[in-house]
Amino acid sequence: MDLAVTTLLNALTLISILALVGLGLTISFGLMNVTNLAHGEFVTVGAFTVYFVQSHGGSFWLGLVAAPVVGAAVGLLLEGIILRRLYERPVGAILATWGVSLILQQGIELTFGLGAKPVVPPLDGVIDLGVSAYPVYRLILIAIALLTLAGVVLLVARTRFGLDIRTVIQNRDMAEAVGINTRRTYAVAFGFGAAVAGLAGALISPLATVLPQMGVNYLANAFFVVIVGGAGSVFGLIAGSTFVGGLTSILNYQISPSLAQALVLLSAIVIVRFRPHGLVSIGGRA
Amino acid sequence: MSNRTWFVTFATGILLLALLPNVVDGYMLGVMRDALIFGLFAASLDFFWGRTGILCFGHACFFGLGGYVMAIVSMMPDLAQQTLFGLVAAVAASALLAAVIGYFMFFGGVRGSYFTIVTLALAVIAQQVAVSWSDVTGGDTGLLGVPPLAFGALDLSGDIASYAAVAVILVVCLLGLRLVSVGPWGKVLTAIGDNEMRAAALGYNAAQRLTLTFTLSAAIAGLAGALYVAMAGLVAPDLIGLLLSTEVVVWVAIGGRGTLIGPVVGAVLVQRAQQEISSYNPSLWPLIIGCIFVLIVFLLPDGILSIAQRLRGVLPGRTR
Repeated sequence: MDLAVTTLLNALTLISILALVGLGLTISFGLMNVTNLAHGEFVTVGAFTVYFVQSHGGSFWLGLVAAPVVGAAVGLLLEGIILRRLYERPVGAILATWGVSLILQQGIELTFGLGAKPVVPPLDGVIDLGVSAYPVYRLILIAIALLTLAGVVLLVARTRFGLDIRTVIQNRDMAEAVGINTRRTYAVAFGFGAAVAGLAGALISPLATVLPQMGVNYLANAFFVVIVGGAGSVFGLIAGSTFVGGLTSILNYQISPSLAQALVLLSAIVIVRFRPHGLVSIGGRA
Repeated sequence: MSNRTWFVTFATGILLLALLPNVVDGYMLGVMRDALIFGLFAASLDFFWGRTGILCFGHACFFGLGGYVMAIVSMMPDLAQQTLFGLVAAVAASALLAAVIGYFMFFGGVRGSYFTIVTLALAVIAQQVAVSWSDVTGGDTGLLGVPPLAFGALDLSGDIASYAAVAVILVVCLLGLRLVSVGPWGKVLTAIGDNEMRAAALGYNAAQRLTLTFTLSAAIAGLAGALYVAMAGLVAPDLIGLLLSTEVVVWVAIGGRGTLIGPVVGAVLVQRAQQEISSYNPSLWPLIIGCIFVLIVFLLPDGILSIAQRLRGVLPGRTR
């Protein structure tokens, strides 16, 4: 029983992190039709922001607030300088963002030095849930992630900006024709996705190995999430991260992590074979 | 690139390859041989990417798989004709993997960026499998002691002999790929790349063509991997991973997509530059290759061979 609860909570941790990282990808993929291979670096930037703040005497919480701001800044720079010019050239965007990803990784390594960086969790203890004990910090992580996702759902469903985003996803030309500034929508949405990925990096930093190269693994997994769930929809994002995160957590108990990841990839490929537009597909664009 | 220009460039290339052993020493010849193997690998990626416009971001899976299979088969005790069986098994394994991936992706309607991402993920996974499945792959160290190329009494392990073997294989493969890509098969691929629905309406089975092309591309990548492993005498996880997968994309992009020769030139030039820069400061190279990626997208979208063509376009009195 307690094993089941622990597995469930571990799965929830992974699912919520994947959903936060995947949000930016589903935005750039579904909204802008751009493959951003530098997205993993927003996670790295978020984690290093926490490390930087902590190593200068600041608290973890200050880092957690700063990380999305730094992530958004890097994202807006990337969109403004590079991606903006490549919306009509999908392969060019793939190559350029991969270049940016290498530059950011190496830049971080040159700034902070080789090796893993320690990030101290803000709370140490475990909490007794009746059937099993679980680290308090992980529960807080899950809570923050779920609140953020709920906020995103509200943002997309209830606000004027969310309406703009949904309109552009369904039909870009028509959105422009009715007076939506698609370029500005792209920039704001992209910056927002980068900020949330930065937040994810900050949240995971006490649990993960904080390395300049840490982003690539989150990038690959988050892409599975978007592919399995279907690009451009928040519910697809949640379905995809539940599938990838849940399956990974369950398999991790039975077999080695790398074999688990390989199996998750294979099942994702099989799903794509039968549902090419994801589990939750949206109309309008193929 | 027009047919005449291509064959002139190709003939010049053959001439340079033939002259090289006279002007450089044995060590340098070995360096060039390895660079040419990676050039063959780059050409195999270009054959698929250049014609169909679909980018594979995990092509090192096939290069590395070919390498591992070559190592495992040719190191089997009591096996006659190790090289031959090793090469055949390596090519077959890579082709089979590509056919399976192609079946699930292309027949499932997966194209464009989705394909790129799935192949990127494949490279990440392949490297993890190569590292963690250490009973078979030797883990982080890889497999040492792979025998050099030899067919019966024909020993190809010397500096000149191994260089010549690689050069001949490269030339034959380039010629074959060129003939396929300008022939009817390649024309259909271009049509699929331009407008798949229209090509399908004309009666061409796009998914089948893409799968077969991808399989051929992967088979040649596997051949290149097997050759490299036999020359180096060892196989290690960095031959199958994401970094090599992205480097080969750089070589093709720098050399010029869709030209087959350009990627070979790109591979040789970039590797020479990498060796020079890394001997000076190893941590600088990823930074530089990142900048190359960004610059090439904005400044040289058609690769370095296009510089010559642009110059010719500028010169008066000539039409291309």
